[in-house]
Amino acid sequence: MTRRKLEATRACVCVLLVMALAGCGRAPVGRSAFVDHNPLPPDTMTARMDEPGEHGGRFVVGATSSPKTLNALIANEQNSNDVCNLLYDSLTGTDNTTQEDIPALAKSWKWSSDGCTVTFQLRRGARFSDGHPITAEDVKFSFDVATDDSLPTVGKDGLSYVDPATGRHAKFRFEVLDSLRFSVTSPKPYAMMLSSVGAVRILPKHVLESAWKSGRFVSAYGIGTPPAQLVTSGAWRLSEFVTDQKVVLERNPWWYGVDARGRRLPYLDQVVFVIARDQNVAAMKFHAGELDGLDNVRPEDYRGYEQAREREQYTFYDIGPSLNTNFLWFNLNLAGSDTAGVRAGQPLVGPVKFAWFDNPVFRRAVSMAIDRDALIRGPFRGYAIKNWQLLTRGSRVWNDTTVTGDDYDPAGARRLLAGLGWRDRNGDGVIEDAKGNPVRFSMMTNADNTVRMDMLTLIVDDLAKIGIRVTPAPLEMSALLGHTRSDLRYDACLLGLGSASPADPGMYPNVIKSSGLTHYWRSRQPVPSTPEEARMDALFERNVYTADLQVRHRTYHDIAALMNQQAWFVWLPTQLMRLPVRARFGNVHPTPIPNRILWNADRVFVRRTAGAN
Amino acid sequence: MRALVLRRLLHVIPLLLGISALTFLLLHLAPGDPFAAMAENPQISAETLARMRHDFGLDRPAWVQYLLYLRNIALRGDFGQSFAYHQPVARVLFARLGNTLLLAGAAALVTWGLAIPLGVLAAVRTRTWVDRTLSLVAFAGLSVPEVISGLALLYLAARTGWFPIGGMHSLDAGELGAWGRFVDLLRHLVLPALVVGIVPLASRMRQMRAGMLDVLSLDYVTTARAKGLPEPAVIGRHALRTALNPMITLFGLTLGSLLSGSFIAEFIFNWPGLGTITLEAIQRQDQYVVLGAVTMAATVLVLGNLVADVLLAIADPRIAHE
Repeated sequence: MTRRKLEATRACVCVLLVMALAGCGRAPVGRSAFVDHNPLPPDTMTARMDEPGEHGGRFVVGATSSPKTLNALIANEQNSNDVCNLLYDSLTGTDNTTQEDIPALAKSWKWSSDGCTVTFQLRRGARFSDGHPITAEDVKFSFDVATDDSLPTVGKDGLSYVDPATGRHAKFRFEVLDSLRFSVTSPKPYAMMLSSVGAVRILPKHVLESAWKSGRFVSAYGIGTPPAQLVTSGAWRLSEFVTDQKVVLERNPWWYGVDARGRRLPYLDQVVFVIARDQNVAAMKFHAGELDGLDNVRPEDYRGYEQAREREQYTFYDIGPSLNTNFLWFNLNLAGSDTAGVRAGQPLVGPVKFAWFDNPVFRRAVSMAIDRDALIRGPFRGYAIKNWQLLTRGSRVWNDTTVTGDDYDPAGARRLLAGLGWRDRNGDGVIEDAKGNPVRFSMMTNADNTVRMDMLTLIVDDLAKIGIRVTPAPLEMSALLGHTRSDLRYDACLLGLGSASPADPGMYPNVIKSSGLTHYWRSRQPVPSTPEEARMDALFERNVYTADLQVRHRTYHDIAALMNQQAWFVWLPTQLMRLPVRARFGNVHPTPIPNRILWNADRVFVRRTAGAN
Repeated sequence: MRALVLRRLLHVIPLLLGISALTFLLLHLAPGDPFAAMAENPQISAETLARMRHDFGLDRPAWVQYLLYLRNIALRGDFGQSFAYHQPVARVLFARLGNTLLLAGAAALVTWGLAIPLGVLAAVRTRTWVDRTLSLVAFAGLSVPEVISGLALLYLAARTGWFPIGGMHSLDAGELGAWGRFVDLLRHLVLPALVVGIVPLASRMRQMRAGMLDVLSLDYVTTARAKGLPEPAVIGRHALRTALNPMITLFGLTLGSLLSGSFIAEFIFNWPGLGTITLEAIQRQDQYVVLGAVTMAATVLVLGNLVADVLLAIADPRIAHE
């Protein structure tokens, strides 16, 4: 009996202990009075916003993974970029709502009469987060590092001119004119100049020059850097970094941004990125109030977010078409050298399939077989629109509504194939080509993307209806990339392209040009393999090396139209994006451009009426 | 005893070499490379990528890369650089190893803390409803995959607010005192430790039960009872000590399942351990991080088994002399 009592007591103690542990609540976040200790610079930047806000509070956003580095010039994946974009400013920025270039560290810029040189006027009194002035020397340093061939920096290809005749790269010229003036010169008028310049984040020369000179720049500003040593040029500085847990940013007390009343920005005391890898876990964290916003929500979850909106006091923003595209293509790559049974110069898919895939009529028939409305209703749960070009409707400046491709018309598709002499001779439901080969091939996609997997399933059915037998091949992403990039051994692939920011046809040289890596259907062509490919190359050159916006729009239209006419990419629908953000925050303007919620974090504030939350 | 430890330690070297060589081989057989994802960036040119590959030595044959890797470890204790973090692998992994060990340790506490008393209880109350219920519950725990039980517990945490939804510290843990931070850590540890610890519980409990039943039928237990010792003393002081012996061997074996269980639970619970970073490194083909993590995990496993052997040798002197 005594033993039972003892056990009972023990059990009670355990329960109590668990309850005590469970009961420890979250610490409330109060609104601390903000006192600006530093004088405002002579050249402030008045940020555009709906309403002036209040200082204080914080915004907690979910991130899918920890940043890998806080070195903005080395960062090459989304999670690092999202944080670096807030920590560092560039000469120019982008207003993500209008998608226009706007001043940032440079308060203005002037083009030379020949359109080759642009001279930037820096803000007087702009300072790094350690109070050190930002001068043209820091800008020059950042550009020199960004274009250093010995470093794995990602922006360097945008800062050099490629001669279309010789293929030679020539770096742009960077010059310090005086402490506040800096110029960039390209050999030819270059339409991407401002966005390439805007991609170079300004880092402090006085902190990082020694690391660069001694060859340690790559590891500088890594994740182990103590916050006090991480000197930033943007609205935020690092407060705390716990790998795989959270990144806490706090106000840079020297930043040059102010509101309409001349009060220093940012309003928020902190921006916190909390790592939640699994989307289900991120959703739970949001619904439990641990997160204030989610940057990425799947269409299949939209309904759940729609329902809890009022109860949990958030706005489920409709931010319109994504900038990401979806499409499928056929492998037209030729073997570069003799490999595994294929002679150099021969098609990697073999002569039979190549004869199908290389025929634009076949590719258009495939496009006409796909019921895109069904794709939108099914995998996208109705939240998608048809898209026929690289720059979706999410791109305000570039999307060309006059461009369309071959939409759903199964009878038309059958006619096209019959015209090629393809029909089902043996009655097995699969058509044979003119030489009697049954039309069968496989199509890969990345298995972790449920929307693409569902699309592939429906497309397999659609193609079966016109007698084409497709075997779906779901693969892990890096395995898939190994095929599209290295061994080029696959038949067809369903994939998408994310958008660089800002969205601009000039950001896609590798997709459009026949020599490009992401010119998936036949990449890295030594010389354009067809007259149409040569035409694409020429159109791209004309699109990029000009200052005339009309020429740019016309050539973009021609590129998009040619891609549809050739059906190199068979375009699939693009998602309509929705994101939840707590209603207590003001000046929130999510856009489909990456950093969807926090691109204007310097203006976001907590409304006073809800401040007690 | 010293000879035993030394011999076992020497066995570790070829084992780790084999594991690292196999890992390296598998990584190189998989398509793609650390820059594959970067190449999807439509702005990076082929030349730039080729130069990066060259700078990181990825254009050399795999066996050359592996030998260089071994040489750097032997000469400088350098486990290579992470391609993603641009930091030494040891620095990237070390803090995470501690976190994984913490989780695995807490899970071990759950497993053994429950398996031993429940196993004893099941043996004492053998073939009663207590015994059957315990078996049922334990096997249910064994059968539910960690992914499911993890998400279910997280859902419970989200609905009730009793526990945090993943992570290792609260957002404001920095403002708490030392005791507050400790309690905060414990609150975060409870659910993942339960998820990981429950899986090996069923078999350990059954083994404890079987061991206990064996001992309870021995003569000396009967003698103890006949002497008039109270039942708790018979069970606790006499039977349990003998019955625990085989459990020590099992400790080393359990370590493997706890470690692999941690890898899964870490992902669901955002626990910043070796598992999450290894998975990410495999996806990005960050080869030296994968190698480092696998080697670390293997080392922990081997050392755990060694500790179990030593404990056993202490408990049963016959083993050390064999």
